[in-house]
Amino acid sequence: MTVAHEFSNESALADDSEVACKLPTLDAEEQLVHSLRNGEDSGFEALVRSYGPQVMAIARRYMQSEADASDCFQDTFIAVFQSIDGYQQRSSFRHWVRGVTINKCLMQLRKRQRRREESIEHMLPLFDDRGNRVEVASPRQKAGIGELLDAEQLRRVVRKYIDRLPDHYRVVLLLRDIDGYTTREAAAILGIKLNAVKTRLHRARSALRFMLEPVLEQIDSDADV
Amino acid sequence: MMLTCKEFDEFMTDYLEDGLPVWQKYMCWLHVKMCRECAHFVRQYRRVVALEQAAFDSPDDPVPNSVPEELVQAAIAHRNTR
Repeated sequence: MTVAHEFSNESALADDSEVACKLPTLDAEEQLVHSLRNGEDSGFEALVRSYGPQVMAIARRYMQSEADASDCFQDTFIAVFQSIDGYQQRSSFRHWVRGVTINKCLMQLRKRQRRREESIEHMLPLFDDRGNRVEVASPRQKAGIGELLDAEQLRRVVRKYIDRLPDHYRVVLLLRDIDGYTTREAAAILGIKLNAVKTRLHRARSALRFMLEPVLEQIDSDADV
Repeated sequence: MMLTCKEFDEFMTDYLEDGLPVWQKYMCWLHVKMCRECAHFVRQYRRVVALEQAAFDSPDDPVPNSVPEELVQAAIAHRNTR
């Protein structure tokens, strides 16, 4: 069955199993908000279909497991529907939905049992007694294993390494580097101090640099050719 | 007096995001100019941020563009039970 509705009329429509959509235009967003405020069933369905891909992408990014992402997906739409009167139109609706999604993910992360996390201490920059940087090669670099990755493989590797970061680092990295929040906004979202965001961000990026070092060296050597 | 690598590292996030007062910014800039190891670190660090962004930013990525229909139906059903 092909699913068509007014909010996805620009998108390529999908087969039975998947629904592919683009975000609605600003006019359509306004209509959608109006319809949600009126409690219309069709409004809710349009909301889920139009914003589903965006919400699911964010939920998968933060939650790592498909089951947890699906829970966040459902919780997000219920929260959007229930709090639509609180939407002040100070930002675009899609931006607001993104914020609700991230909040739901963070709530879920706080609730869920802590997964076993790898310490990143050994991945952080090292300094000698005089404060000089000491380069520590990542294990694969020591083994002399260079990597030649195509763009898609590289994207997968980067995502895999981001997933390896402990949650409190990973979340800051996603908020700042991927979702584009400022340090101040990230601090407000997480309820932590500005300096804590900066420290976690720096540590997360440094650890990621350590994990990606063989790839980075490869990129450098390609650039030198 | 020049910053040590450790001191530079503490300022690095702010330095790269242009969040330092002029004097500290100059001290960091000078350190990067004089220190090969830190210059290398900064270059890789910047590349890491670019790689992160590229990792979640492809129009061909199947993840952001589709949601299983059953999940859509479940969300709609979930709302109806509220």
